[in-house]
Amino acid sequence: MPPFDTLPHAWMVWDVPAPARRGAVLEQTRELDKFLAEVERRAFRMAQVALRDADDALDVVQDAMLKLARNYSSKPSAEWRPLFYRILKNGIRDLQRRRTVRKKFMVWLPGSKEDPDNEAQDPLDGVADGGPDVPELLMQAQAMQKLEGSLRALPARQREAFMLRNFEGLDVAETAKAMGCSEGSVKTHYSRAVHALREQLGEVW
Amino acid sequence: MNEPTQDAARSALELRSRELFEGSVEGLDMRVRSRLTQARHAALDAAARRRPWFFQMRVWTPAAGVTAAALLGAALWFGSPAGNHAMTAADQPSLEDLDMVASTDEGSGDAMEMLQNDLDFYDFADKAANSGPAA
Repeated sequence: MPPFDTLPHAWMVWDVPAPARRGAVLEQTRELDKFLAEVERRAFRMAQVALRDADDALDVVQDAMLKLARNYSSKPSAEWRPLFYRILKNGIRDLQRRRTVRKKFMVWLPGSKEDPDNEAQDPLDGVADGGPDVPELLMQAQAMQKLEGSLRALPARQREAFMLRNFEGLDVAETAKAMGCSEGSVKTHYSRAVHALREQLGEVW
Repeated sequence: MNEPTQDAARSALELRSRELFEGSVEGLDMRVRSRLTQARHAALDAAARRRPWFFQMRVWTPAAGVTAAALLGAALWFGSPAGNHAMTAADQPSLEDLDMVASTDEGSGDAMEMLQNDLDFYDFADKAANSGPAA
């Protein structure tokens, strides 16, 4: 049994992180900042391709960041990427399910508006302002729009496999973790996605 | 992670699509970039506020202290001889006495009736003494 006068000191240790622990927390926060800064824009674009809406994509990415930080920041940083994309994928799926339910409900309401998802997207929307080579950027934007259209036409699993492998650069094992399936399934989904895209777009479009 | 060594094995379609995707990422407008940065900072704040479960125990410390004090008080109250209100053998005689006093059995008589008889006797004796000797 420790003497009574040491107990307050024990509580102080619990209350205020020791310098070593504080340093470790700072280091972890810095690492997490670096990781999130690295993935946030690509994650946003992937979510935008899947959801066709910038605000929804921002919400889903923000939610994924928060969940990763709250629940998994103590995990080794090497595990963050597949975990983050798994959270993002689940968020996208949830939102798509909610939309489907809402769409079914709206059909029965009189005077329901056209679904904004079906609105044609302006090819110049994604072009940065004031670029030096506008025709080149326009061509790229049009090509990207065509690619996005083809990606949206793919089944969800194939689209996820293609974007995670090709856009985010995850290897097969990481993609399998992010998608929650076997590595064999990832290879199959990816191969089918490439085949389908090639049929729709040609080798180079 | 990125696999530059595999780029050669990739088809033109894969390379072109990746190039276009990276271009669209670079071309994101300032509004989106700013919101992403805000979201990141919010996530980092959440991570910084996150503490292990044993640090979160401090929140429960006052409630735990009050509960422990109440339990200790209850244990002392019911455990002490002075506060022992359970029935014991020593309590039995006093209860029996009370039972006898309150009893209305024929053998023991009615206490109120006995008191009334006494009062009648004293009243008679007083009157007899005041009336003098009989002729």
